Amino acid sequence: MTIESLDLPAVEDGIDRHGLGRRLILAGLLALGLAAVASVSVGPTGLSLFSLPRAISAALSGSDAAADVHARLVLLEVRLPRTILAAFVGASLAVAGAMMQGLFRNPLADPGLIGVSSGAALAAVATIALGGGFAGPWVRALGIWALPVSAFLGGFLTTMVLMLIARKHGTTAIATLLLAGIALAAIAGALTGLIAYVTDDRELRDLTLWSMGSLAGASWQKVMAIAPFALILFVTIPRFVRALNGMLLGEAEAFYLGIEVERAKFWIVVLTAAAVGAAVAVAGTIGFVGIVVPHLVRLTAGPDHRIVLPGSALLGAVLVVVADIAARMIVAPAELPIGIVMAVIGAPVFLHLVIRRGGGLAAP
Amino acid sequence: MIRAEAVTYAVGNRSLLSRVDLDLQAGRLIAVIGPNGAGKSTLLRLLTGELKPTGGRILIDGQDLATLSADQLARRRAVVSQHTALAFPFTALEVVLLGILVPGFEADCSGTRRIARDMLARLGMEHLADRTYTTLSGGERQRVHMARALCQLACGRVPAEKTAILVDEPTSSLDIGHQLLVLDELTRQKNAGRAVLAVLHDLNLASTYADEMLLLADGAVLARGSPAEVMTDERLSMAFGCDVRTNCVPRNGAPYLLPQSCTAVAT
Amino acid sequence: MSRTIPGFVTLAIVAAVLGATASIAAEVVDARGEVIKADNPSRILSIGGDTTEIVYALGFGSNVVAVDTSSQFPPEVLAKKKVGYMRALSTEGVLSTGATLILANAHAGPPEVIRALATSSVPLVMLPENASPESLIEKVKLVGRALGAEAKANDLAAQLNGQFGSLETVRSKIERPVRALLVLSVDGGRALAAGRGTTADLMLELAGATNAAADLNGYKPVSDEALIEMAPQAIVAVRRAPEEEIAADIAALPGFKALGAGRKVPIITMDAAYLLGFGPRAPRAAGELMAQLYPDLPNQVAR
Repeated sequence: MTIESLDLPAVEDGIDRHGLGRRLILAGLLALGLAAVASVSVGPTGLSLFSLPRAISAALSGSDAAADVHARLVLLEVRLPRTILAAFVGASLAVAGAMMQGLFRNPLADPGLIGVSSGAALAAVATIALGGGFAGPWVRALGIWALPVSAFLGGFLTTMVLMLIARKHGTTAIATLLLAGIALAAIAGALTGLIAYVTDDRELRDLTLWSMGSLAGASWQKVMAIAPFALILFVTIPRFVRALNGMLLGEAEAFYLGIEVERAKFWIVVLTAAAVGAAVAVAGTIGFVGIVVPHLVRLTAGPDHRIVLPGSALLGAVLVVVADIAARMIVAPAELPIGIVMAVIGAPVFLHLVIRRGGGLAAP
Repeated sequence: MIRAEAVTYAVGNRSLLSRVDLDLQAGRLIAVIGPNGAGKSTLLRLLTGELKPTGGRILIDGQDLATLSADQLARRRAVVSQHTALAFPFTALEVVLLGILVPGFEADCSGTRRIARDMLARLGMEHLADRTYTTLSGGERQRVHMARALCQLACGRVPAEKTAILVDEPTSSLDIGHQLLVLDELTRQKNAGRAVLAVLHDLNLASTYADEMLLLADGAVLARGSPAEVMTDERLSMAFGCDVRTNCVPRNGAPYLLPQSCTAVAT
Repeated sequence: MSRTIPGFVTLAIVAAVLGATASIAAEVVDARGEVIKADNPSRILSIGGDTTEIVYALGFGSNVVAVDTSSQFPPEVLAKKKVGYMRALSTEGVLSTGATLILANAHAGPPEVIRALATSSVPLVMLPENASPESLIEKVKLVGRALGAEAKANDLAAQLNGQFGSLETVRSKIERPVRALLVLSVDGGRALAAGRGTTADLMLELAGATNAAADLNGYKPVSDEALIEMAPQAIVAVRRAPEEEIAADIAALPGFKALGAGRKVPIITMDAAYLLGFGPRAPRAAGELMAQLYPDLPNQVAR
């Protein structure tokens, strides 16, 4: 037996799921384009995309004729930022969900599950409630990024505390982490409730609405607030594909396969906390995106993160853009919180996931 | 290839392994045997670099293991653990392809997919390449992971003499035919120049395939040497705390044993 | 598109008809201090129960095209189009009503939507907070200016001032103010009480009562024990719908049963929009509450 027997001719064979995945990603891009056009075209005022040239020329010329202002406001200041915000939020939440599931090797894991969302929400709520008080300098210094940065720090600190709790002998015990996450989520929820209790009635009602999630307050400012977090996440996706694929086999196995596991875990936690924090800060808490979207992508294209991550980003964006169209049209001219729309879509899928495969796919 | 020098591993004040020396050379197959809890898997995990020794050191081709990065290690050694859980619906072939995660592997190795299929075939798994991993039996999964480790080294493009395969109980869920298939493949790897270290439970298989044996008990080396030197009635009985008799098969003179009774002769 | 063309046609016709009749005020300074050009009250979007009541009281009810969900009075308003809860408005939803004038309660939101609406071509007039009888007068006058109906608004303001005046006269005769607790709802065995800084607190004050929950800030749930500690001599129960049995829920609270040391503590039930709306019916509601709290006082509040 010689070394030659181990080397084989370089021949690629057959069509693989990666090829299928590539086609799915093209389809996802197309779907996102269509959803975005629909989202900019549809709204309670009945202005369509055909008014877009008028809106743009109004914006360029600064015309203040009522019809021009109306077209510009509705298309360029309301629907367009809202569509972009929906896409960013959906993509961020879905990618964060997919990353968490890979990290914890559990298809039911979700940033909401391990307390990242709760920690982010707590920090955001505290910033809203205390923004007029002693958190004032912080809020003024950060401007539009005050809320996303606070939410990121909240989510990040929660996750770091979790990892400290769950860390043993240089590795992270997943079961401990999940349980501690549930406990921390409860603590963060209680503190959020406490803040809601001590603030006055108006803020309390805002917090309630905010916890249901909404894109009604979309603005270019909010798009700017989430954009850096979301773009950093998307740009760094390729760097974590291998690590996440390896970690599906277990952290020790990932190390055997050449992954610097602890470093990868740290950055995955930072990035997911940032993405979730920014999404929570601009749109409140929107559930189920992080579980439903990666699940659907895996169902069609397999669990390879080379497809799951970009696929989740695209499908997450499409889903939230479409859900937002529903949120603004169903009870127009009033508005449904998008969190409720997503729950209506997401809860049955989640239940299906739990009933069909929950037992078999629980943490190893 | 891999040398352990007085390697000690302790958790708190409990010592799991004390002052173990080991020299795993290219083209050799060392079988690590010993009773449950003797420290066999701990030794293997230390040799992979996953655990850091609390005393002594481990060298790969003269370089301290602790100074090598995860991907440098991955090019030089592949590992098959005793248990690998995977909750996601990869196909068997995709699991094997997970063996080539280190950046640059694909560039060096354009026929990865072909290699992956070949490695599955070597372990008698070619017909299951497109089956979902989660639907495979325990023995089939074990062989998929073995194929993955082989694929990792095949794509690493490091000369075989500078690589090692470390396997922990690769035959525990296999029937006799597949046990021989797996150990034959490990022998083939050894003959190609790789260093092979296998933790084995089945003493007769160990005796048949090992060039060298390391008998561990209570975290210390009780005996080392050729199977004939290690597999003596006295040593095995002492290590396993039960009465065993070894014997020889006529063909190549390797000793074998038949368990006699569970009455402890020494502890 | 097709849906809105008839909308714009009607809009134009209504505007033409009304344009001739309404006396037009050009500029209004609203509660934010913004100078708003309000010259066309032909299609009004009214946000807030108080706002809507004032608009109706000034005779512009038929111009109202849409309201928020807190607008419940007068009953005709229930048939109007709804833009949702006033703290959760949507920019485009508001614009889609085709309103030519938006009048909004100080609580309307979220702030991003208010900011976006402020940049639209539709004038948005924000009303002041409910801080005192004067803020009601201010609201009425501001709405009057925005609608170009200042004379009518001044009449209403004078009438309201008179009512507040007579309330004060009666109030001055009160020797021992009643400690009253205003309960908004009973949820999970706990009463939601109105503390300081609420419209409810203001109404209790106008009715000559001491707020038993003055230690609380805003609307807060209170335990049975806290209820006993507050020792209210009367409870004002506010119901959102006529069929709501809030008085029975309060009576069932263990904390309530322990009140009064043998003497029965009365539960006065009043309609939420009436008592807490702080629209033109506010002085009358305060008078009615006062009459129930002090049955022995001569009630002189004009009806």
